[in-house]
Amino acid sequence: MKTSVTSLSIILLYILLLSTPLPLTQCGDLIDQICKKTPFHDLCVLSLQPNSGTNVKSLASVMANLVLSNATDTLNYIQGLVKQATGTPLERPLADCAELYIPVVKYNLPQAINALIRGRYGFANYVISDTAKQADACEKNFSGENKSPLTDRNKLISNLCDVAVAIIRILQKGL
Amino acid sequence: MDTNPSDTPSDLEHAPYTPLPDNPSQARIRRPFKVFAAIFASVIFLLSLVTLIINQSQEPLPVQNQNRSPSTSRPTKSFSKPEPRGVAQGVSPKSNPSFFGDKVSYNWTNAMFSWQRTGYHFQPEKNWMNDPDGPLFYKGWYHLFYQYNPDSATWGNITWGHAVSTDLIHWLYLPLAMVPDHWYDINGVWTGSATLLPDGRIVMLYTGSTNESVQVQNLAYPANLSDPLLIDWIKYPNNPVIKPPKGIEADEFRDPTTAWMEPNGTWRITIGSRHKKTIGISLVYQTSDFTTFKLMNGVLHAVPGTGMWECVDFYPVSVNGSTGLDTSANGPGTKHVLKASLDDTKRDHYALGVYDPVADKWTPDNPKEDVGIGLQVDYGRYYASKTFYDQNKRRRILWGWINETDTETDDLAKGWASVQTIPRNVIFDNKTGTNILQWPVEEIESLRLRSTEFREIVVGPGSVVPLDIGQATQLDIFAEFELEITSETKPENYGCRGGAVDRSALGPFGLLVIADKTLSELTPIFFRPVKTIEDTVKTYFCADETRSTKAPDVFKQVYGTTVPVLADEKFQMRVLVDHSIVESFGQGGRRVITSRIYPTEAIFGNAKLFLFNNATGVNVKATLKIWELNSAFIHPFPFDQIRME
Repeated sequence: MKTSVTSLSIILLYILLLSTPLPLTQCGDLIDQICKKTPFHDLCVLSLQPNSGTNVKSLASVMANLVLSNATDTLNYIQGLVKQATGTPLERPLADCAELYIPVVKYNLPQAINALIRGRYGFANYVISDTAKQADACEKNFSGENKSPLTDRNKLISNLCDVAVAIIRILQKGL
Repeated sequence: MDTNPSDTPSDLEHAPYTPLPDNPSQARIRRPFKVFAAIFASVIFLLSLVTLIINQSQEPLPVQNQNRSPSTSRPTKSFSKPEPRGVAQGVSPKSNPSFFGDKVSYNWTNAMFSWQRTGYHFQPEKNWMNDPDGPLFYKGWYHLFYQYNPDSATWGNITWGHAVSTDLIHWLYLPLAMVPDHWYDINGVWTGSATLLPDGRIVMLYTGSTNESVQVQNLAYPANLSDPLLIDWIKYPNNPVIKPPKGIEADEFRDPTTAWMEPNGTWRITIGSRHKKTIGISLVYQTSDFTTFKLMNGVLHAVPGTGMWECVDFYPVSVNGSTGLDTSANGPGTKHVLKASLDDTKRDHYALGVYDPVADKWTPDNPKEDVGIGLQVDYGRYYASKTFYDQNKRRRILWGWINETDTETDDLAKGWASVQTIPRNVIFDNKTGTNILQWPVEEIESLRLRSTEFREIVVGPGSVVPLDIGQATQLDIFAEFELEITSETKPENYGCRGGAVDRSALGPFGLLVIADKTLSELTPIFFRPVKTIEDTVKTYFCADETRSTKAPDVFKQVYGTTVPVLADEKFQMRVLVDHSIVESFGQGGRRVITSRIYPTEAIFGNAKLFLFNNATGVNVKATLKIWELNSAFIHPFPFDQIRME
């Protein structure tokens, strides 16, 4: 638990540092309303505050971008681990994980973010759900003696995806 | 050469005519019958004459029609018989016409029909499908196109269906990519292949059947390369780009391949055809822009006696590695696979060889096992296969079309026909050096639910062992067998042909899939090692459909071939079970057999899995790992529904 909160904070801090500082708005109510409809309320609130966006679409966009940045970060991490794990039993599952994340980071998530902007919610939804599946599949690569060094990261990405999908559903169907 | 499916199709037992009840020596008593018979015969003769005339007017080569039908080995006599679809239009037969007429058709129930739909194989929601087309990976998505009839569960009105997936398993249906809407493809948008250009463009070359049923090659490309789903396609305004050249029959010129780049920067494609009716050939065309093509001299290769080559495929494999190669790869450390679908026998054949890019010629490693006379891609119900290079995971992926073996009447009743195999990873077998290995793509593992393991179960001669697992209709089975010889074995002369009931000393042994608990219906997948006169062991790998169903109108046969089993290897099989399709991989994919089965009893909860040993002189020790597989839930792409307030 501790590690995931720490890494989440680090990642959020990273985003905050890079994003334009925005005036605090009164959208706390909206965020709370939205996040109540997601499977991970606290994660959702933590991720979205103190972000900009007075509408659901921009919140969805923030979430999708958060998934992408986490996935990108995880992919880089995996690729680093692969180099260190050459010749060990971990090398294969790690390489397989990289293969799962590469098209997600390179193509699918950017497509989903683009789709959100253009109102193609069905597409965005499918791709982000699929990303969660890739994270789960990566985790499944490790079994028995091969303990996964990616559990927290995969779990976080999976949960962020679930939140993003829930928010997009709100876009599709309304509150 | 091999124990391939029996040379005398079972339909010859059920000749398509009623014997005339006439005996001239008893003329006086039988006069009324004689007259009736004469009138009956004349009527039928006239009807068949009319049918023949109609056929002839559509097809300028009358004799060839009948030879191409898989259902007769000689021209039909005076009684009209339903001709398989497609033959008159200039492609290989696409149906299994009922020989029995509706009276003898089995009383299929809705439950039986609905059970036949596969859980995790690609098939459209309904209607007819055949050849896979233009497979490719682009911007995070795998694409599959396929020959599709939007109107019926039989071949005809052929369009390009389209589906996408991020993982080759979970497919999403998209709108039709191309329909027959120009004079150059009005009689069918037929098979074709995609080429990904280095600058990121995609070109699709496909065969169109024109308004005069001439086979031409056309160019199409995505309307919008920034659409990752590649939904809309544009046909090149000046199609066709290739017409049948002089000396080639206008209706024996189809299925252009993916292009490969030569060292000098120009592209080549190859298109199958035939010469003097019996010599299978593949022509080579050169292009730089995919709009103008030049026919090269000679042919890529030719093999006498193999007939028309449909769906030619040509690709490099790495002799050393485990990765696939781009279609343009060549040089030391590569061999080239040349594959053709033989129109005359409806089988997919391939051979390994060496490609000379300067002469544009391919030479087989072993001329005795040349294309069409040697190895088959798959030894079961399988056709029109096509590979593509997956640049995402650097693999060569193989698709294959699996037709139904029930009747056209059944297909129309159930509303669909045909499935695709699970995509297979193809690599060179560097242990034997003489074949490729095919293996289901690893993404199938995402369907795994729970597994059950059995270690070293000993099965005595003539025994059947039930395997206690959950459901037995969606499985991924890994099985390994060792033999304990219990009595002296002499050389024997056996193959697959007799099926699993035929007992020999060292076999058969294997699995009984989709079997009910009384074994009234069962499908054995088995090995039969046979001692030869030279004191070696030859091993057959077989799939026996003869008792797969009680229904009499299903085409049931024994498929199989010999499979190399190396000194240090146990007998290994991997079997994918998915309702009415079974894909069986022998010795790591050295030989593959795809079967279609239509049980009436062994369905839903009644379908079980057994181990069996029907040999006389060995105990079999089996170790298995059996995964239950989830369905893939293939469905239309979830585009947005506009919400009505």
